Parts: sequence; structure tokens; C-alpha cells
Amino acid sequence: MEKNIDKTSYDALVIGAGIAGGEAALNLANTGYKVLLVDKELSVGGKMIMLSKVFPTLDCSACITTPKVSEISRHSNITIFTGAQASNIRKIGEKEFTARINKQPRYVHIEDCTSCQLCEEACPVSVSDQYQYGLIGRKAAFIPFSICSPKAAAIDIENCTLCGACERACPTNCIDFTMEPEIIDIKVKTVVLATGFKLFDPLDIPRYGYGKFKNVITAMQMEREIAPTRPFNTILRPKDGKVPDKIAYVLCVGSRDASVGNPICSQICCMYSIKQAQLLMGALPMADVTIYYINIRSFGKGFEEFYQQAKGMGVNFVKGKIGRITEKENGNLILRYEDINSGKLQEEEHDMVILSTGVLPNEGISELFEGDTLGLDKFNFIGQSDALAGPSRTSIDGVFVAGTASGPMDIPDSILSAGSASSEAISYLIQHS
Amino acid sequence: MAKINTKFGNEISKYGAVNFRACYNCGNCTAVCSLSTEEVSFPREMVRLSAIGFEDEIKASLKPWECYYCGECSTHCPQEANPGELMMSLRRYLTSKYDWTGLSGLLYKSLPISIIAFIITLIGVLWFAGSVGYELEKMIHFGHMFEMIAIAAVGVFILMPNVARMWYYTILKPKTKVSIAKYVKSMGELFIHMFTQKRALGCDDNQFRWFEHFVLVIGYLSLLFTTVFLNWFASPYLFVIILGYVMSAIVFVVTIDFVSSRMKRNKEVSKYTQPSDLFFVIWLFLMGLTAFLVRLFIDLDILEGNKWLYLMHLIVLVQWALIIVPFGKWTHFMYRSFAMYFAKLKEK
Repeated sequence: MEKNIDKTSYDALVIGAGIAGGEAALNLANTGYKVLLVDKELSVGGKMIMLSKVFPTLDCSACITTPKVSEISRHSNITIFTGAQASNIRKIGEKEFTARINKQPRYVHIEDCTSCQLCEEACPVSVSDQYQYGLIGRKAAFIPFSICSPKAAAIDIENCTLCGACERACPTNCIDFTMEPEIIDIKVKTVVLATGFKLFDPLDIPRYGYGKFKNVITAMQMEREIAPTRPFNTILRPKDGKVPDKIAYVLCVGSRDASVGNPICSQICCMYSIKQAQLLMGALPMADVTIYYINIRSFGKGFEEFYQQAKGMGVNFVKGKIGRITEKENGNLILRYEDINSGKLQEEEHDMVILSTGVLPNEGISELFEGDTLGLDKFNFIGQSDALAGPSRTSIDGVFVAGTASGPMDIPDSILSAGSASSEAISYLIQHS
Repeated sequence: MAKINTKFGNEISKYGAVNFRACYNCGNCTAVCSLSTEEVSFPREMVRLSAIGFEDEIKASLKPWECYYCGECSTHCPQEANPGELMMSLRRYLTSKYDWTGLSGLLYKSLPISIIAFIITLIGVLWFAGSVGYELEKMIHFGHMFEMIAIAAVGVFILMPNVARMWYYTILKPKTKVSIAKYVKSMGELFIHMFTQKRALGCDDNQFRWFEHFVLVIGYLSLLFTTVFLNWFASPYLFVIILGYVMSAIVFVVTIDFVSSRMKRNKEVSKYTQPSDLFFVIWLFLMGLTAFLVRLFIDLDILEGNKWLYLMHLIVLVQWALIIVPFGKWTHFMYRSFAMYFAKLKEK
């Protein structure tokens, strides 16, 4: 591939290749700017590519993401580094940034891999699959997930026993254990941060029993169970593989909860839980689905109607935060809560519980910068220097923020935010030329 | 139709409540409380009643007394609204509402008034001791007389009327119909809870705290009995003498842990310690310690030369009997037991 560009010099560095980063990169690239898009994961697409459907339209999430992902991958103005992290970002002048990219070896030459999966078959090591949120296992030589991009195998070197079975099985000889980590120093003119969010870890609330009671799972795990590329091809509860028929959603797990350090609303949990409840009613017509909530926050366009639709479908809404979950011998779970409408303590049995975990900021973003300080807000999301006049601007002129890196938001808002960040970046590039 | 009274929040804050208005009514506190049941659900209901200032409902409620303050609700409260401390403050508030003299309220709400009360009683004792020329025998005789008179007077004029008022607020005024037979049949509940505090065992991981408290109550009551009815300081009987030693030692040894945990404020239950809580445990400690030393000095025959020790004991005793027992935290001994009795009466 002949590309007439300097491999260490770009117009824009976009960190994070989720839906926000991807959108921002595309906008910049379509305007003619050269973009370097880096993501620490093995695939672009972020969290959205893993989701089942989106609210409130119930469109297929992967069907929206994958065309975008392939557009990004094929764009002549976009260079993608996966398994890579940016650091040492320093502003040395207007439109002059230096940064260092640390690229971890994949141990597979992407361009030669045909993703035939023979290496997967040959690999003797089984570990938990992080792309299926631990629902199933994967091999140490593996294709991250079926719709990943780049669609190529990777070697999980931490779990690899270096037996060489994959290397021998590979028909194109694309597996290469001699690959080394690469450090690339680059120059860019602007930076867009689309570092996304992380989900609250429910192990921090031991009274919900996550990690101890097998049938208590997170909403992201349920998201995988109902996605088109789902691992089981049906809905199963993990402990015994039974198809659940009385499912509970616990809202506000790790959000609006100062006792675990996150007092703010995550903005998406009510809606994704309502969405999942509707999808479950479709997938398991005989199942009862109950959502335990503090307040239902259906504030977006079409959201309240979506909530009413769920009620109409028979989803049971109970006002009251779950205080404690205990497990019965048969794996069913007892949920203890105060029914706020009657003011009475209640206990209810369910055979599967989904924890709707909240949105937390990714840590360590400000440490990527040298010289100037990247300001954070009081919840440790990237600070918007002027949330009303320029929501994408940060404390460093020329560094912009897109999507959930600046705070909890849903997918349409993330894309809007990415549009704003890319426009601001383009305007910055034009202003200072 | 009851009227919302938002000023009630300021009133209850004077009794120690903190930040309870942050409550967003999720019910997490009720759900994590191991004493809460479908029939008797708390503490959120009490937080709500306090936020809107429904005083009559609060006065009619026994729920504050049914909480034994393990602190789980406050630990897990998503709004850090401290429901546990609100329940504690409501107990202080109720104590002062039950008290017909109104002195409880003054002492709970104002530290300066409490200190003045302690100083007045101190001066009173010193004045009395001076009037009898600091004669040891007269002081001890008076001390013993005082104990008996104080118990009778406080019981008849303060505690009994106050329990009657509690009964009026919680049973009579809300028009709960209770048959005489039920009053008699449920009587056992009163004594079981008075002497065992067994409900506190229902709190999570509370066995040790309950045991300490149980030993302290038994020690305190036995010490009271030994000094007042067996006249410990004048008793020639070896059994009584040893009993007094053991009981007074139990009181001051166990209270060391209570005082130190109140000082450290490292547990949910001690984090928001009020002066009234400290007075209670410190005076209990001083009672046990000075009583122990007085008898020791008698046995060593050195009390005559150390009259100050008995004077100290007398001061602590008088302050205990005139301030803390009738108007202070001592009353929880009564109200908690009667609350369990009344709760039994309210059961269908």
C-alpha cells in the first residue's frame, strides 16, 4: 500500500475508536484531514458494537456500528492503531502537539490473517472471554469477536503457553512471536479525546452478591445474551443453564450512590433496562420481567413513550431500591426492598437478576498529558472548559473531548458530541493556519 | 389534614440529626435493616415523617425505639442521609416529648445548660457537705438516704408519669383498641426486653456489643441493688461486700470500651456522638469506679483520711440520679422496654 503521508505526522490524533471517536475521525477525514485513530482494544467499535439494540428505536446496534466501522477502516485519510495507547502528549505551540504511541504486539500480521480460526481450534488454552463479558470462554489465540475490525486473530500473550500449536496450524503463516512492542513518536495539530467510560464494578457492592451468586449478572452481560451475535443463541441463566422466567432488574447499581463514590445519574441505565426488558419479553414470551427503580428517568425524545410501551407490554415496574440479595439453594434469588408505594418491606423471589450498572469515568486520562494540565470535572470526567458555549473544548486549547469521556450520555448524544468535537477541531485547524 | 412543617427539620437537627433531608426515598435503608419487617418497616418512614414534620405521627410511633442502631442503613445510604443517626435523634426527641417537665429537651439541645446543671448539683453537694462539717459518717448516711429518696421520687414523679405519657401518645391518642387481657398477657414482653435487650441480637454482627451491654445492665442493676438495699458501704457481710466489688468492677471495666469507642467515633453508631451520649457512659464509668474505690478504702481503713473520695462519689451519684436518670439517656432503659411492650399491644 503506497500512502503519500509521513508515518509520524498527522493532522489529528483521535484517542478512542468507539462510536464517538469513530464519528469524530470520520468527520475530520471527510474534510480532508489526516487522522490517526488509536484504541487500546483489539477492535474498533468501542462498547456500541457489542450492544444488542438501541433505545428507543430498537434498531440493531451492530447494524449501525459496523458500516461506520468499515467506513473508518477503509478511509484513506484514517490510520488505525489497535492495541495501542497514546501518552506523553505535549503542546509545543499552536497546532503543534507531540505524542508517543505505545503499540502492543498482536503477534499476528493483520494483513495476512484470513480469520480462518484454525489457530483458535489448535490453541490448548481456555480463558474467560472479556469481549463476551465473561459469559463464555475463549482461547489464547483468538478472534476477538465475530464482527470485530480489523477482523484478525490475536495472541493473548499473558495466557499463552508458547506451545506453538497456533503457529503450526496457521495456513498463511501470519502468526509471529517475534513481534515487539512499538513506540512511535508522532506530531499532530489537534487532539480529540474520545476515551469513553467504564462500567461500575458490582463487586464493590457485596450485598448484591455479584461474583458469588452465579445468576446475578450485569446488564452488559445480558446485552451480550440478547445481541444478534450472542454466545448462547438463547437466554440462559449462568448457574445451571435454565431459561429464566422471572427476571429482575436492579437499577442504580453504582450510580446515584454516594456510598460507592458516584453520586450522579448515569443517564442510560433506565432506558437500556427498559429496552432489555422489552427484548426479553419478545425472546421469552412467558417470562415475567420486573424493574426495581428509584425514579424512571425517561427524558429524551421518544423515551417516555418507550417506557409506556414497556408498561403496556407487561413489564412490571416497582419503586424501591434493592437493599440486599440472597441466594436460595436452587439458585433463585431473594430480593429485599421497601416498596415505596406501600411503605412496606418486601421480599421477592426471582430466578435471574440483572444489575444495571452505572457509568464511571475512565481513569488516567489527564496523566496522558505533559506540560499543560488537562482539567477534570469534580466527577473525574474530562472537564468542559465552557459547557454551554463550547461543550467540546477542554482546558487545553486544541484538545477536544467527544462522547462519554466528558460525562454520561446515550448514543445519539455521543454522536452529537463527536460532531461538535470534530467541528471545533476543524475550526481550530483552520483558524491557526 | 395534617400540615407539612418544614421547620421540624431544624428542631430535630438540634437533637443531633445530620443531613437527613438529603433522602430521596429509595428505601435502601429499610431494605438493608435486619430488624425491619413487612409489618414494621423503618427507618425510611421516619425519615419521611421528619422531613415533612408530621410531629403527631412521630410521637405516636414506636419505630425509633425498635431500632437498635447497627448503622447499616447509614453505611449504605446512597445519599449519605444518615438514617441511623436520625433514628437516634428521634429517640432523644421522643424522650424530651415524653418528659412532662420539659427538662430533657433543654438538656439534650443545649450543652451549656447541661454543664450548668452539673455545676449546680456539684455546688449543692459541696454546700451540703460543708453544712455537716465534711463529717464522713454523716455524708455516708446522707448518701444512702439520698439514694433511696431519689429512686422513689424520680420513679414516682418523673419516670412513671413520663411512661404514662408515652402510653398516651402511642396507644391512647392513636385510638389503638387493646383489651385488659392483652395488657396482662403481654406483660412478659416488658420484662424480657428490660433485662435481656434480646432484640439487639437481631442486628447484624452485633453479638459482642449486645453481650457487653447485657453484662453492663446486669452489673448496673445488681450494683444498684447492693448499694441501696443491701447497704454495701455499711454492710458487714462478706458476700455483700464481694458482690459489690464484682458489680462495680463490671460497670467501670465494661464502660471503658463504651467510652473509648464514643471518643474514637470510628463506628457508625459512635460517629455522631452527642454530649448526652458521652455524659451517660462517662458517668456510669465514674459511678462504678468511685464506688469500687470507696469500698476499697473502707476495707483498707483509709477512707477517714481520704474523705474527698467519698465526696467525689457523692457528687457523681447526685448528678447521675438528678440529671442523667430522670432527664438523660438513662431513660432509654425504660422507653425501649415499654416500646417493645406497647408494640406487642399494637400487634393484631
